[in-house]
Amino acid sequence: MAVLIAIISLTVLGIPIALALDRAARGPLLLGAAFLYGSGTIFLVLLVVPWTLPAVAIGALTVAIIAAIVAYRRRAHSSLITHHASLHLIDIATAVTLAGYACYATIAPLWEWDFWAIWGLKARVFFEHGGIDWQFLGRPWNAFTHPDYPLLLPLNFDFLALAGGGWNDRWLGILFVAFGVAVLLVARGLASRETTPLFAALLTFALASIATSRYIGLAEGALIAFGGVGVLFAREALLRDDPAAWRHAAVMLGFAANCKNEGLAMLVAVSVAVAVIRLRGVIRLWPAYALAAPWMLLRMTHDLATDIAEGSTLGRALHRLPYTPQIVAFLSEHLYEKGFWIALLAGLVIAPAAARAREHFILLFTGIQLAFYVGSYFITPHDVRWHVMTSWSRLTDQIAVPLAYVVFLMLADLIRRGEDARHAEARSEQ
Amino acid sequence: MSPRRILAIAALAAVIALRIEPRLLQLPFMDRGPLMRGYALFADRLWPEYPRFLEGVRAHTRPGDKVTVVVPLMKWDEGYSYAYYRASYFLSGREVLPLVDAKDGLHRENFRAATYVAVWQAPFPAPRTALVWSGNGGVLLRR
Repeated sequence: MAVLIAIISLTVLGIPIALALDRAARGPLLLGAAFLYGSGTIFLVLLVVPWTLPAVAIGALTVAIIAAIVAYRRRAHSSLITHHASLHLIDIATAVTLAGYACYATIAPLWEWDFWAIWGLKARVFFEHGGIDWQFLGRPWNAFTHPDYPLLLPLNFDFLALAGGGWNDRWLGILFVAFGVAVLLVARGLASRETTPLFAALLTFALASIATSRYIGLAEGALIAFGGVGVLFAREALLRDDPAAWRHAAVMLGFAANCKNEGLAMLVAVSVAVAVIRLRGVIRLWPAYALAAPWMLLRMTHDLATDIAEGSTLGRALHRLPYTPQIVAFLSEHLYEKGFWIALLAGLVIAPAAARAREHFILLFTGIQLAFYVGSYFITPHDVRWHVMTSWSRLTDQIAVPLAYVVFLMLADLIRRGEDARHAEARSEQ
Repeated sequence: MSPRRILAIAALAAVIALRIEPRLLQLPFMDRGPLMRGYALFADRLWPEYPRFLEGVRAHTRPGDKVTVVVPLMKWDEGYSYAYYRASYFLSGREVLPLVDAKDGLHRENFRAATYVAVWQAPFPAPRTALVWSGNGGVLLRR
């Protein structure tokens, strides 16, 4: 119950922030974005204020009041204003999927190795310490906890523990349900303005098992949410040059960078993709870098090393370069949900060239992020096979939402309007 | 209808069908008891009693204490890594020092640095130590 109240509190905290960024936000988009902003904001609050419930409440309230003032002064001129997200019978299937995921996520105290050895361990140590325990992170024997990993998720766990009055890993899984639901709400809100209620509902259903991370207790759930939503907003921003979408994208991607190191890579990948399409657009992502900066600075100040960068990364890369075909074959062999990825690729090929051209941001982003992922296997200090086996399925999960979203919409558009549909729209937007 | 539209319908249907998770759709309506018991034991399937022992150790130590653990398997990949990481989680607030590293190197300096030795289901000669607590398959010794 306490966890539920904490999650509702995060959503309430996030509403004025979402409105400050986008005065026109309504319905599912507002609700989904609000939870994510609440979750991201509480991370920032816990970086700054003492870890007592009154101090955290005052900190959060201060942010909410400032955001409400900004929201009040901001005029509602977002292009996201016009959409309506109607319910559809298919939403029942989505709701059942989410109910099933909620059952799974809360079936037992969190069981994943990486939860109790990394994310949950840090959260529990910090909770008992009453703040970030830099000594713990700096001890050589605790290198297994990956001290350099950003702390958005552990600090969210700590907020739930503070709100609940003690550490209890039995119900922390609810947080992952909230992350998944938030992605679906935003995706539904955005899709509703591009397609029919039937296709928007089908897309939401298809995304339901992608947005909800299988790895309960790990930062994947948070990264899929912040990163996926951030990329979708960046797409909106590029397609419509909408200031509110730019702000959403920047803040979401900034929080993604505070979930995992891959989130930081995601921010760079988005920036490069944006720069290729519209160089000046990169400037509008500055809030993302501002949000990523505090942890980067703290990490440097406390000399928290990244294991993947240990020793000679160039030496390892050069040594493995001749084995590229073997590494790529191994990645292909261990691709999780292979049929789904093949279906997405097939969808890309089937879609009209004009539709693909319209989506080149997402395709470019996906390619760059994949290159980062594959590149990490060339420089890893660990055994490549072991590293692939323990991470590849999680990495591909992280980029599935935006790609599935655009492939789905391209196919839906082709089915609805025929082959020249995007030609017409592409012309009208130029 | 053009062949491309037919292919689009097939691809879209495949994307949707391949993302249907039958287990998630069934979960709300099935008896989750066996699954619940399975997941509750999942993290400690190697040594189900070990967490209870660690809870006892936690109850008999204080934040800031240095604790090291001795378990039946003292090789990193055969069980010590699990024992050490799990102890770090359950004994949060204490400083848990490993006796073995990832290359199976022995770290006697950590034994000397520890105030407490938590011995679980392992024979342990304990000269110059005092028994603090015993239970759940192990003993907690103070050096």
